Amino acid sequence: MKILYQDLINHLHEKPSKELLSKKLFQLGHEHEIYGDIFDMEFTPNRGDCLSVLGLARDLNIFFGKSETIDVFNGNINTLEINFENLSPPDCPKISFLEIEIENVMDNYRPYLENYFSTIVGKKTNFFTDISNFISYELGQPTHCFDRETIKDKLIFKNKECNNTFKTLLGSEVTLKGRNCVFVSAGEIISLAGVMGGTSTACSSETKKVLVECAYFNPESIIGKSIKYNLVSDAAHKFERGVDIESQELVLRRFIKIVQDHAKIKSIKLKSFIEDDIQSPTIPIDTNKINNILGTSFKENEYLGYLNDLGFNILNDIKVPLYRHDIKTNNDLAEEIARVVGYDNIKSSPINLKKLVYRDETKEAKLESFLIENGFYEVINFPFTSNEEKESIKIDNPLDSNRNNLRVSLKDSLINNLLYNERRQKDSIKLFEISDIYTKDPKIKQQKRLGLLVSGRLGKNYNDFSKKLDYKYLNKLLNRDFNEAIFKITEIHRNVLDTKKKDKIFYVEISMNDIPSSFYSNLSTKNNVINFVTYKPVSEYPSSTRDFSFSINKLDKVETVISMLDEVSDDIIKDTFIFDFYKNDTTKVVKLGYRCIFQSHSKTLSDKEINNKIQEILSPILKLDGVLIPGM
Amino acid sequence: MSSLDNINPPVAHNEYGGLHPINQTKEYLLKLLASMGFGVVHGPEIETEEFNFDMLNIKKSHPARQMHDTFYTEGKKNVLRTHTSPVQIRSMLESNPPIAFTSAGKVYRKDDDATHLPMFHQVEGIYVDVNVTFANLKDLIHQILHELFGDNVQIRFRPSYFPFTEPSAEVDILSESGKWLEILGCGIVNPIVLNNCNIDSNRYSGLAFGLGVERIAMLKYGVNDIRQFYKSNLDFLAQFK
Repeated sequence: MKILYQDLINHLHEKPSKELLSKKLFQLGHEHEIYGDIFDMEFTPNRGDCLSVLGLARDLNIFFGKSETIDVFNGNINTLEINFENLSPPDCPKISFLEIEIENVMDNYRPYLENYFSTIVGKKTNFFTDISNFISYELGQPTHCFDRETIKDKLIFKNKECNNTFKTLLGSEVTLKGRNCVFVSAGEIISLAGVMGGTSTACSSETKKVLVECAYFNPESIIGKSIKYNLVSDAAHKFERGVDIESQELVLRRFIKIVQDHAKIKSIKLKSFIEDDIQSPTIPIDTNKINNILGTSFKENEYLGYLNDLGFNILNDIKVPLYRHDIKTNNDLAEEIARVVGYDNIKSSPINLKKLVYRDETKEAKLESFLIENGFYEVINFPFTSNEEKESIKIDNPLDSNRNNLRVSLKDSLINNLLYNERRQKDSIKLFEISDIYTKDPKIKQQKRLGLLVSGRLGKNYNDFSKKLDYKYLNKLLNRDFNEAIFKITEIHRNVLDTKKKDKIFYVEISMNDIPSSFYSNLSTKNNVINFVTYKPVSEYPSSTRDFSFSINKLDKVETVISMLDEVSDDIIKDTFIFDFYKNDTTKVVKLGYRCIFQSHSKTLSDKEINNKIQEILSPILKLDGVLIPGM
Repeated sequence: MSSLDNINPPVAHNEYGGLHPINQTKEYLLKLLASMGFGVVHGPEIETEEFNFDMLNIKKSHPARQMHDTFYTEGKKNVLRTHTSPVQIRSMLESNPPIAFTSAGKVYRKDDDATHLPMFHQVEGIYVDVNVTFANLKDLIHQILHELFGDNVQIRFRPSYFPFTEPSAEVDILSESGKWLEILGCGIVNPIVLNNCNIDSNRYSGLAFGLGVERIAMLKYGVNDIRQFYKSNLDFLAQFK
């Protein structure tokens, strides 16, 4: 909610700077951003009472005092004769109707009203609706303006089962379903109560006689309606959080005053319907309890003084203002005290719990360490999938209607991870995921599983570069200690995948419970390093690979070449490694294959840039006696 | 003159893999909390509305229970847990105070944008005993944040609202750029929740806190896009070993 700094301090005795105001708002729990003179407030859902200039100022009065009273119409008001029936008092225990007839409207709004539209809202609607919107901003009570001439018959409020089309005053058409609180006249729904009025009774710039409805709706009766019907409604936002049931007369007298400031009034009539006399809740005075919750030592007069300044009425017990729907218990009162004192000013006090040793020698941790040592990377995937199996658990309201099942296997996720990395020119991929899998059988079954997938080169060093990750590799890695294959290895055939790569894919999935204890006997958790390194953003630009084959016939230069290649590094070099090393006994020549992968963080590298860098790397090496790259 | 036999081949390194940075961060937090006296408890990711909401004082009308915020399964029979708090409820029902434990794992919300994901990780802690106060909570949170971000980190407590704690707080740390960053939520366990778990709230009180693992990981590693964690990009994952 946007609140103008000037409007807020008009309600405060002292006039704090924006900085001081901001500091105190945070202390009270009111998050915000400041844009020029506008405080863009974000209130917690329990503080509906703060959703107005007056409401927020009321919370700040404890620091800055209270200022001007609200300028209202103080004259007599005739009783309105209105044919109204409330058929659902629990949903609307109090409602008032104000009828105003005017002769004409001034061409320009007065500064306080004009300023609201020029700085906060931007768009005017019509005279009466503009006043209604301003009052909601100023006092927190939504009102609805009916064009009086459009309501000829009896007006009824009821909570009814609906299956009706309803055209809102904004022109959208919604189909009301299920139970809704509505206003009905002549058999037609003319307003979705607490959310939005209808187009058939809406005010226009021609309206001279208005019927202002000012109600207290039970929050439970309004919650969810604006979202259900996709209607953006400031009124619903406020009614859902609870408005001040005692404010209706003040609000309507303020309405009259603003009309009076802008138009010649012909008549004013008012009628209130009070179905239930709501009493302020009370809480017994218990200072010890408050101190026990907070760990403080406030004296009773200090405690009650704070509450008094917050608008609580203290007699034999604590009477909670009716606008504070969030205060019901001593814990709520403790929070009030902590807010005004400042959470940061409550002194910390240690607890003495016996230290525990974290059980990091679990089977799962050992398995992770073993896989890390063997070059596997752990991945974490979302569980949503389009694949529906008999035992799949269905999501009623998926984010993506194509992914409305929980996965029953880790396989598809890991295949997707493989394809994603292959598209990024990865040619040696070893991945694993350990996750709970949920199925129905028909009861919900939970099983922790390991999924493991390999494809591509065995490794990038010169021993492994030309070998492939295969069945034999996985079988040796996982099943070497067993007479029978505990880890069932399957090949995933590429013909069913969206890929042109040829490397075979091998996959294992096993319940963690099915891995025998003996598998873990020689394993440790030494590789489960927690390392908070500083991350470097991953480049989204393509990489380029260049291979070089060195021929070294001066054997004393071999170590020098290896050492020089080891030291190669640059911002545009992503990786380098020696992928081939061969000693030719006949020719007494050492052959050395070297791969250099280029990638920039800021652009696609041109051949020229890559070639220049290669020149920079190779020239000192090729200057060595007996070192050459044949053909270069 | 060297002979071929005397030439040492280059070292053939076997490349290590790595734990996912989110699991590294989660493990770090669990280890840290264990050193402060919190044991680990586990619970299911598919939960009943009773444990995920009702027992935690989240009323039927609370916005979090709407279909647009929570994933429901099998005709609204269950939910994908929206926090790890139901694990604490289950554990409180099975134990008597004093109790101190953490629950950690995946949680789900119906969100998917640049800063929110439908699945993320939480680590939550609860301590229930006689005379547990807000002052105790403050001390504990200070200890956790000093361990995570150093002794000089500036910490700010702000009032907030959670149905299961009262008073409730959100805690910020001051970043190097001078901006306050929200880091965790915490509070005094609402007596209603204790009573729901058959713990006498006249005798016992509790403190509770919850950390978003992705949030901590982003700050500790300097990752500024939460979505990076779940792309499974090897260029990303290889940095955290």
